Amino acid sequence: MRNSCSSVSKLLERYFDQEVTGEESSLINEHLTGCISCRETLRSLVELRDLVKAPVEEAAREEDFPWVWQKIERETRLQEKASWWETLRSSVNLSHLLRKKVWVPAAALAAILIFFTVPLLFKETPLSPDRSIVEYVESPTYNVMVYHPEKTDTTVIWLFDGPEMESPAS
Amino acid sequence: MKDLNETDLILRCQRGDQDALKEIYDQYHEKVYRIAYGVVRHREDALEIVQDVFIKLFRTISSFRGKSRFYTFLYRITMNTAIDYVRKVKKIPKTIVEEEGGLQLSEEPERGPDRILLHKELEEKVKGAMEKLPADQRMAIVFREIEGLSYQEMAETMGCSIGTVMSRLHYGRKKMQELLKGYVKGGGEG
Amino acid sequence: MRRSLFLLLFFFIVSLFSVSVVHAQVQTRLRVIQASNIGSNVDPSLRDVYKKLGSLFSFTSYRLLSDQDLALHLNQPSTVQVHQEVFIEITLVGQQKEIAELRVKVYRKGSDILNTQVRLSPGRTVFIGGTRHRGGVVIYALSAQF
Repeated sequence: MRNSCSSVSKLLERYFDQEVTGEESSLINEHLTGCISCRETLRSLVELRDLVKAPVEEAAREEDFPWVWQKIERETRLQEKASWWETLRSSVNLSHLLRKKVWVPAAALAAILIFFTVPLLFKETPLSPDRSIVEYVESPTYNVMVYHPEKTDTTVIWLFDGPEMESPAS
Repeated sequence: MKDLNETDLILRCQRGDQDALKEIYDQYHEKVYRIAYGVVRHREDALEIVQDVFIKLFRTISSFRGKSRFYTFLYRITMNTAIDYVRKVKKIPKTIVEEEGGLQLSEEPERGPDRILLHKELEEKVKGAMEKLPADQRMAIVFREIEGLSYQEMAETMGCSIGTVMSRLHYGRKKMQELLKGYVKGGGEG
Repeated sequence: MRRSLFLLLFFFIVSLFSVSVVHAQVQTRLRVIQASNIGSNVDPSLRDVYKKLGSLFSFTSYRLLSDQDLALHLNQPSTVQVHQEVFIEITLVGQQKEIAELRVKVYRKGSDILNTQVRLSPGRTVFIGGTRHRGGVVIYALSAQF
């Protein structure tokens, strides 16, 4: 019985992890029916797994991953833009034109035209420098407070005393 | 059919197709989250790791040659990202409020305060025990106990032999049982 | 000669296009946050928000619900659905170098919750908040990238 126990106990972890052969599994099953100590060892492995695994399963079940993909998309979109530009650059080969000097007067003339026409076409909307950060604020259902903490670049518009927002169905 | 679809997704992703990355994300983000959470035991940190993993995947997927299975490639990125995260977080003392003020009771009506405290205490103990393990033993525990990878799959993911996998698992479990004495009953030598 | 004229036209159109793109849009970032006293976790990506608002409010938990980049074009509203029935509409109504003037409307179907007009400059964040949701409040964090 002792010899059997010492050889089986070495296999217990592999048995627990289902990494034993059919023959080994039968041997261990037979041994376990009569050995409390090995059964206890197995039980402690089960309990440890439960302790480690259960909170993770619970966390994963409850998680709704609210913003993860949005962030990944933003970061990878920046990468995509760079490679798209390189593809365009390599496909539009203007080197033969650049070797000739015909582009020089063309570029100069284009620059002069832009200098005069763009300001006329795209007038900036005039914004008075004296206007405040919050131009106006109104709410039919809430009281509103506007707060600018000193020495910060923060503005807070806060709504008070309104009804409870309806929660979306989860 | 799944393998062909996955190969197509990987090829498209290697060409910079973000839609392909989204499909891979949809398939794997929960698994990656479980591994990340298993390592750091903290929701927000685990979500950060998931985000970092898929960004890294997009950047490095061109180096995937198909010699191993795709999920072992992804899990290796997850493992390295989680370990790096833990090392980085250890160096920076937390100044966020979550470290102050002690336990906060949640608003779950079905648990009384005493049960919530016990649950929280146990989770803190497990987290503390995991933090004391060396990185390779911690990863072995996470891959086996949480993700249920076979020894072969673990060896591929961790880049070591099956014998090394078994050794890391054995010593990791032994250490965890010592650290969680009183919470893990039973145990004994034959 | 014909080729020179063609190139001239090409450069002119390309330059016009690039300039028009620079002037006609502002990149803004909208984050929707739930702040509460349930738990004591601050989403790592909201640490800047916690720094700015932590001294004003006693919330212990800040949770990011969504994070969106919006390219706003002059007088063209951009609408984002925040919850099942609540929407936020943002319109660029004015722009000058590094100042963008935005009209912001938060509404439920059939009724307005808030109408406001704010000016964003580099580094400034405007927080709009206070509506109750799931035991906490919703805060919208709006900033522009120049």
